[in-house]
Amino acid sequence: MRGTSLFLLSVSAAALAGSAPACAAWQPQKPIEFVATAGPGGGTDNIARAVQNIITKYKLTEQPIVVVNKGGGSGAEGYVYGKASAGDPYKVIFGTSNAWQQPLVSKVAFNYTDLTPIAAMAQDEFLLWVKQDAPYKTAGDYLKAAASGEFKMGGAQSKDTDEVLTRMIEKVGHVKLTYIPFKSGAETAVQLAGGHLDSHVNNPSESIGQWRGGTQRPLCVFSPKRLPQGAKVTLSEGWSDVPTCAEQGLDIKQYEQPRTVWLPGKVTPEQAAYYVDLMKKVQATPEWKDYIEKSSQIDTFLTGADFDKFIKEDLEHVKQVASEQGWLVK
Amino acid sequence: MISRRALELATAILTGGFGVAVVVQSLDNGIGWSSAGVDAGTFPFLTGIIIVAGSLYNLARGVVPAATLASVPIAITSIELRRLAGLFVPAAIFVAAIPLLGMYLASAAYVFAVLAIPRHQSLVRSVVTAAATALALYVVFERMFQVSLPHGALAAALGF
Amino acid sequence: MDNLSELFHGFTIAVTVPHLALMAVGVLLGILVGVLPGLGAPNGVSLLLPLTFGMQPVSAIILLSSMYWGALFGGSVTSILFNIPGEPSSVATTFDGYPMARDGRPTTALATAFGSAAFGALVGVILITFLASWVAQVALAFGPAEYFAVYFLAFASFVGMGGAAPVKTVVALAIGFAIAAIGIDTVSGSVRLTMGVDELVKGVNFVVAVMGLFGIGELLVAVEEEFHARAVSSKIEWREVFRTVGRLPRHSVALLRSAAIGCWMGITPGGPTAASFMSYGIARRFSRRGRYFGTGEVEGIISPETADHAAGTSALLPMLSLGIPGSATAAVMMGGLMIWGLNPGPMLFVDQKDFVWGLIASMYVGNIVAVALVLLTVPVFAALMRIPFVIIAPLIVIICVVGAYSVSNSYLDVVMMLGFGIVGYLFKKLFYPLAPLVLAIVIGDKAEDAFRQSMLMSRGSLGIFFANKLVTCLVVAGIALLLLPLVLQLARVWRKPASPNVETQSQEKVVI
Repeated sequence: MRGTSLFLLSVSAAALAGSAPACAAWQPQKPIEFVATAGPGGGTDNIARAVQNIITKYKLTEQPIVVVNKGGGSGAEGYVYGKASAGDPYKVIFGTSNAWQQPLVSKVAFNYTDLTPIAAMAQDEFLLWVKQDAPYKTAGDYLKAAASGEFKMGGAQSKDTDEVLTRMIEKVGHVKLTYIPFKSGAETAVQLAGGHLDSHVNNPSESIGQWRGGTQRPLCVFSPKRLPQGAKVTLSEGWSDVPTCAEQGLDIKQYEQPRTVWLPGKVTPEQAAYYVDLMKKVQATPEWKDYIEKSSQIDTFLTGADFDKFIKEDLEHVKQVASEQGWLVK
Repeated sequence: MISRRALELATAILTGGFGVAVVVQSLDNGIGWSSAGVDAGTFPFLTGIIIVAGSLYNLARGVVPAATLASVPIAITSIELRRLAGLFVPAAIFVAAIPLLGMYLASAAYVFAVLAIPRHQSLVRSVVTAAATALALYVVFERMFQVSLPHGALAAALGF
Repeated sequence: MDNLSELFHGFTIAVTVPHLALMAVGVLLGILVGVLPGLGAPNGVSLLLPLTFGMQPVSAIILLSSMYWGALFGGSVTSILFNIPGEPSSVATTFDGYPMARDGRPTTALATAFGSAAFGALVGVILITFLASWVAQVALAFGPAEYFAVYFLAFASFVGMGGAAPVKTVVALAIGFAIAAIGIDTVSGSVRLTMGVDELVKGVNFVVAVMGLFGIGELLVAVEEEFHARAVSSKIEWREVFRTVGRLPRHSVALLRSAAIGCWMGITPGGPTAASFMSYGIARRFSRRGRYFGTGEVEGIISPETADHAAGTSALLPMLSLGIPGSATAAVMMGGLMIWGLNPGPMLFVDQKDFVWGLIASMYVGNIVAVALVLLTVPVFAALMRIPFVIIAPLIVIICVVGAYSVSNSYLDVVMMLGFGIVGYLFKKLFYPLAPLVLAIVIGDKAEDAFRQSMLMSRGSLGIFFANKLVTCLVVAGIALLLLPLVLQLARVWRKPASPNVETQSQEKVVI
């Protein structure tokens, strides 16, 4: 059932991408609700509002769009709401990889299969950050120092992307880190600046201000190649000057967090195709490029089979880490 | 007519019941305090135990009335009970009607009912107040702040 | 003095006709969302945010922060008039504000609240102006152990004092902690205490609990006692507004003490809610008229309001200088900053001087605009008390229902709110104190998180709470505040062994 709808979805998406976008058969007739699975001000909330603004500005739909925050339970509130709205094509859920990772490790009442995937619209990179005056200059030095077993790694939420990455570093680098979960990346960054932690793995946007202010600096980025050239962040360095972790001997080639868009389950392929098309139009605007650059994210667009493949791969990966740590819910 | 003792007992049973539920649920999360940190269920478990113990104490005090309790034997007289019901029952019906009628219709009906039926206000004034309430809600929430209040199953069935 | 010249430069940016107009618009809109429970400053700010993208960042932040001031002021209105606190930080205002309003003095209550709030905000802004960099350093010194110590201090200053029967206080406090624990746990990521209701994974929102406990609960008590607010004279009492504000300097000790507590809690991670509770608790303990608190005391309004606004204002500083939002509203504003291309953090003060000092100058001006506008509205709001009970009662029910719903568009919240209403009524009737319960709901889970984070850091050893001077001082102060009433009690017993226990009778009268 799900297979077919996904198949149809990718076919229709392909048709849309082709030469004759046969003006999606389905059009919204009511106001559309954007459900951000984060509180006001969080990354997921920002992307939902950015998309809302672009759609409103370019009048990409006649219907008004309302953003609703359902960030309770690390986003579970929003996904559960999406599950409960099965068949309603007027609820668009904005989330992260949480949608498939959270059900693995905690007893939440949803799974990503309860939702209809639309697209992954942007990727957030992860970097390894240390305090500005820390003695180590490379990821190699860091691992050597961390071998003492006394290092504290901070991160946002528990058993979520940050902790998964921490456990991967432990395994690859043969070290033991004490992971301390905080509410958000911003809070973690301040804890590092105050010297209460030894490192964290924040996204660029969560720590750019701190880097510029000289309280902490990135050692390496968990990406197959260096980040694209951009404006300098500090006087001498920009994102492209940060080496990859793999080249410094911390062999984690790729780790990133997608911003994902979903519809509730049991919607028709035409309805899903409409939103895929809508998000594509949003992505083509200069405002979107501007938003991506200012929030230091990477512009991607995965939909249909590609998105599905991405989820499957990521899921396998997280499942492995989670089972090694004994996190899987029974 | 409800005696002070009965009310104390009922409340103690209510809080105690909640405490028991907390204790039982927190056992699922694991209880423990080791060098790996404090488990998720530990503090809820402790608070649950405190609630249960406190409720038992209150229950016991309710059964064996102390001097202070004896001074007010009756908590709610029958007239007071009627007044309470007069406020709470319509409110509960209002809340129960929201999924069907939606916020606007339900609140208008509620205002009309509590004003017109006990003849606090004339029919015309009740209708005006009811309509004004619903309209104000619509303008402020739906229009100004884009908070969508429930429209109800009835509106959905009629195709709004 | 460097800061002073920067500030003057800031004033040249903030005090222009378009910016003053933006401030007035922002403040009025803020008052509106503040007055309507369920809608808060975050709603208003996130609503305005899209409109501001075309503006200069400094104009945009002036609009948004004026809205924030308006909402802070507006939040006290429903607390005082109807016992419905729209924001966590105005709960403590209900303790004396509502009794005073019900006693036929709504004008005095509102004017006192607004006047002292303006004073608190002013102290907060002055602090930001002159001690910005120092304050940022202080905030950095707070790790999980220090966070926990601050929350502990807030609890100790408030809970330690008597009033209700001790066992009932403990039960209420524990219930609050349990409610705070519902939902996903930050430290372990697991789901707790959902009682089989899937939707409860989001936790119990404070507003939902408070609308029921205070709003509906109080309404039930009022209807049962057939107690209607004493008639308010129909004259518009402008003179009373000014007389009240003029009388404020008489309470300068309370004002200064509360402002100090507010600033301290705003800089440290305690936040406005903990500040207002702590300030009220300490005022009640140290004021000469402390025993009358809870019956409509002027200082019972001054203390929480001043501290709330001082904390609310100084909480903007960590946001600007460190990038940690002190409140939900600050979080939305921070999101805005990023979309405007400004990165909050230590360099904002160096890179974006015009923006930062324009904002700080606008805080002075914006607060003056806000307090002027809000004082003008006092007679209007006070007139609401003249509406007959039979009409106002269903309207309060509707406000609570809509407010509970709009917190997260959930019907379950409305049903829970009604349930909390019954609990609130029962607790009030049987002298269970509501304040510790509410305080536990608001900061209970934060305190627990901080404690468990500390235990992760120290590998399960309590020694971390005595690991450095700062945290030791905080913990010792907390323990001292907790034990103080006990010691005083013992001293009294020791001095007068056979004193008849007068306390027990007055005890049940004033339970907050």
